[in-house]
Amino acid sequence: MTQQNKFDPKQDQGADTAIALGKGLDVGTANLAAAVQNEDGGITVTVERNAFLDIPSDVYSKNMLTKLKVPYVVHNGKLVVIGEAAFELANVFGRETRRPMMDGLISPNEQDALPMMKMIIQKILGEPRVQGENCYFCVPAPSLDVDNNVVYHQGLFESLVNKLGYKAHAINEAHAVIFAELAESDFTGIGLSFGGGMANACIAYKSIPCLSFSVARGGDWIDKNVANVLGCPRSKATHIKERGIDIRDPKSREEEAVSIYYRSLINYVLQNIKQRFESGQNMPSFQHPVDIACAGGTSLVGGFIEVFRDEFAKIDFPIPVGRVFRSEEALTAVAKGCLVAAAIGEG
Amino acid sequence: MESVNEIKEALSARSRTATLDELASEGRKRVRLIRAEHVAAMISEAVHAAIEHSGLIAPEEVEKLVEKSRIEFRTILKEREQELQRAHDNEKALEMREGELAELRQRFSALSDALSATRRELEEVRAEAEAAESQLHSLRDRAAPMVAAAAPGPSSDLLLSLVQEMATLKANLMHAQAAPAPTPAAPAAPDFSAALEKLTGSLTDRLEKLGQKMGVSAAVGGDQPVDFGNLFKDEGKQLESNMDNIEVKQKAGGGIAANLARLKKLKGGG
Repeated sequence: MTQQNKFDPKQDQGADTAIALGKGLDVGTANLAAAVQNEDGGITVTVERNAFLDIPSDVYSKNMLTKLKVPYVVHNGKLVVIGEAAFELANVFGRETRRPMMDGLISPNEQDALPMMKMIIQKILGEPRVQGENCYFCVPAPSLDVDNNVVYHQGLFESLVNKLGYKAHAINEAHAVIFAELAESDFTGIGLSFGGGMANACIAYKSIPCLSFSVARGGDWIDKNVANVLGCPRSKATHIKERGIDIRDPKSREEEAVSIYYRSLINYVLQNIKQRFESGQNMPSFQHPVDIACAGGTSLVGGFIEVFRDEFAKIDFPIPVGRVFRSEEALTAVAKGCLVAAAIGEG
Repeated sequence: MESVNEIKEALSARSRTATLDELASEGRKRVRLIRAEHVAAMISEAVHAAIEHSGLIAPEEVEKLVEKSRIEFRTILKEREQELQRAHDNEKALEMREGELAELRQRFSALSDALSATRRELEEVRAEAEAAESQLHSLRDRAAPMVAAAAPGPSSDLLLSLVQEMATLKANLMHAQAAPAPTPAAPAAPDFSAALEKLTGSLTDRLEKLGQKMGVSAAVGGDQPVDFGNLFKDEGKQLESNMDNIEVKQKAGGGIAANLARLKKLKGGG
């Protein structure tokens, strides 16, 4: 089913043609993305994979990386290849990438990766156009299924963004999806962000978040399980997942494994959302059916929204639901939503 | 009535049940029906007629004989019913006793297991106690010469600190005793709780200062804003990198002007 969105952004372009200050930053487990308004009235999103790979440092490797335009940092006597290139190199050499974040939060095992992460964020965010420009960055909501705490994570990135000359503000990840995707519904509905480490959910009424939570399963959970059953590195499982497969029609044993775990993840997320909504705490009551917008890199796989709708139809969802759709810019929707929050905050 | 029921049972036992379709398949289109009561009446009439025609018993004796037989039948039936009821009661009582017995056996088994486990634990604890005792003796024997040779006691700073603490506490107590009672109903006894609170506060402050020195206090107390700046240790020095020469990949996305306009309208600003 295609997205039946009657909302035409061009109709309202005249309402606000000036480029608003402010930037949006999606601090994701798998990808880092920064969004800014450009002069054409659109937005420019810079995305980099949130991964590293350290290799022995020597002059030959350094020269080769420079010639190939592969970004690197020399840290503690090692060459640390950064971003997408690290992921590609890891696949070539059959190694695992280092991941600064795990399950949606800063990883306790990768504290020494913070300087590299700061460099990458600095690169994608750029310099602030004015000192203290608003930068809204996303943070996950507390999880229903694991005991986690976002205070340290939020404080750390707030400090990092402030150090880059911005005025940092945190916004819930799924709330950002609502800002990006549910303008037509007056920002009322359910935003779901299927990220690398987590799946975040937020339900909002006229842009005000009523309830937000997360479950600690995402794309990494799929990769981990696929790698386990296939006996391959996780980065290989990620590659299989991201090479353009359709989970409704798996063509090989590898794709079958990815498809099975995708369906399981979607079902798990939906069951948790249902149970949380059914518990009735802080739940608003809606007179009309609300839309569900899905976003996040994990939702990019072919057939995602169709399988989501299949699984959704199997459960007795406690509130009336209208459209169920995936963002047309699923990977960058969170950054875009952060940018909307930053721009409105700036004004 | 008993005869009718018996005849019904006899008819039921010696007859078969067939559906209308089955009868039709056998070529029977019509069947004749007779009620069990009518069969009973016919049998009764036939028996009476046979007895009368035999001449063995006078007709007035027949009715007496039938009535006597009925009374005897009812008596026997009642006795059988009572016996059956007693048998049922006995069966129930037996079942209950068997249940109780099974439960008792289960409890006995559980208690036996628990007793065995407790015995084993007791043995282990005894063994550990003996080992610890022998170790203690050994340590005492080894430490005795050292303690006798060099036991300087607590540090002078700690002693001084404790003496000062005691003096403060004593002064507080005396002050509390000497102070006039605010109301007639107020107790004249020293306020030990206040003194203890003060002592606790003092110790807490000390612990807090110690915690701050060790860097753990900020993690415990969440009220103060935490500065995470120190985590970025490489702030001052420039890491060697080629990041400046690398162009990051950029994607164009749909505008946000419409979203902003809607949002401003919602907030009442547009």
